Amino acid sequence: MDFDFSVVAFGLPILLRGLVNTVLFCVVALPAGLALGSAVALLRLSRRRIARLPAAAFVEIIRDTPFLVQAFLLFYGLPPFGIRLSAATAGILVLSVHSGAYFAEAIRGAILSVPKGQLEAARALGMPYLRGMRRIVFPQMLGYLLPALTNQIIGAIKDSAVLSVITAPELSMAAQMVLGESFSPVETYAMVSVLYWALIGAVSAGLMRLEKRLFRAAVVIPRTDTTRLPLSAIETTAS
Amino acid sequence: MPNSITVMLHAAPWLLRGAVVTLETSLLAIALGLPVGIGLAIAMRSRLRVVRAFVRVYISFARGTPLIIQIMLVFFVLPSLGLDLPRFAAGVLALSLNSGAYIAEMIRGGLTAIPKGQIEAARALSMRPALMWRHIILPQVLALILPPLTVEFTALLKGSALLAVIGIVELTRTGQQMVATTYKPLEIWLTVGIFYFVMCYALAALTRYLERTTQVYRTV
Repeated sequence: MDFDFSVVAFGLPILLRGLVNTVLFCVVALPAGLALGSAVALLRLSRRRIARLPAAAFVEIIRDTPFLVQAFLLFYGLPPFGIRLSAATAGILVLSVHSGAYFAEAIRGAILSVPKGQLEAARALGMPYLRGMRRIVFPQMLGYLLPALTNQIIGAIKDSAVLSVITAPELSMAAQMVLGESFSPVETYAMVSVLYWALIGAVSAGLMRLEKRLFRAAVVIPRTDTTRLPLSAIETTAS
Repeated sequence: MPNSITVMLHAAPWLLRGAVVTLETSLLAIALGLPVGIGLAIAMRSRLRVVRAFVRVYISFARGTPLIIQIMLVFFVLPSLGLDLPRFAAGVLALSLNSGAYIAEMIRGGLTAIPKGQIEAARALSMRPALMWRHIILPQVLALILPPLTVEFTALLKGSALLAVIGIVELTRTGQQMVATTYKPLEIWLTVGIFYFVMCYALAALTRYLERTTQVYRTV
């Protein structure tokens, strides 16, 4: 078997454009998923059943069905009711909702890793709930949250490849286009794999660096700043 | 509305047949993925650097590229290399090769729970490595990773939906065919979703049960 470099010359520009689109999809969908996930996580930890139940049901339903079926439902299931989304919009929407459910679980786990007394103390001192979450719980849960979030972010990038099935114009869709023109599966899929591999490698390396930096930042916090805890407290929540 | 329910009820028996194929595929994939994972976990501790490097690259690739691309790779690229596999075999192979990487990492995690003294004791009794793995390490590690294995099985069950893309007639592919004949995408995809949900939810319950009952065998 010979590796045909003319396919690389022809296909690589198309694939790179696809890669840019994949990145764009994720750049839009992941923050949306993170916002959704944070809201769902807080609802799941609510004292009221009426808030807890729908949030729990949402997470279970999303996590117990395949991403592909969710994409089909949204893209093909809605047009008969007059809701017509473009492949790209439907793709971003389903990626946000799907990753939102997984983010919610990561965030909920991280919040639960912080001792309950911390928030109770903040509330007892008159801090509103959300401010207590932001100033007291959030800094302490970071060490626990970031590794879990890194996993889910990488999972979401990989999931985005499935969107080619609903014809969203991202990297694996570009691969199908190149394949259709060149009829060279070996070269095409070799390039696509390497591109995804590089993207995911870069993202996970970047997030790991961020993790390290944040921990270093925690060391240099002045002692007088009582809203944050010393590194030792964060380390125990991380383990 | 009553019309929708008729469509769903009409589709259910066909989809059930697809669900059986989905279950079979996933079971086969995990049954093959387990030996792959065990092999990788053993190779990870090899004395040869080349072997360790290979395992590292393999696991990094399997976890660092989308499953759908891996399925395409096995399905489209292997024939070009002279290995012509039927669809079903290619699909199961792709899933097990992917799953093996995750299982290997699981086993590696489980290995840290085994006290070093046991391996030292086995060596002191001049046990050969193969014997040590079979009688000392693996029985304990496998009991330990049983709950995460069921989680991996759930992931495979959902991942096997991607096999529809290469034309394996499992649950999702059956759904596509039903949509093509009924023109009722919402009803069909909802029913397909319900089928997946029931399977995955039941498996999650099994995971929780195993987590509780295997607690006894845990060394840590």
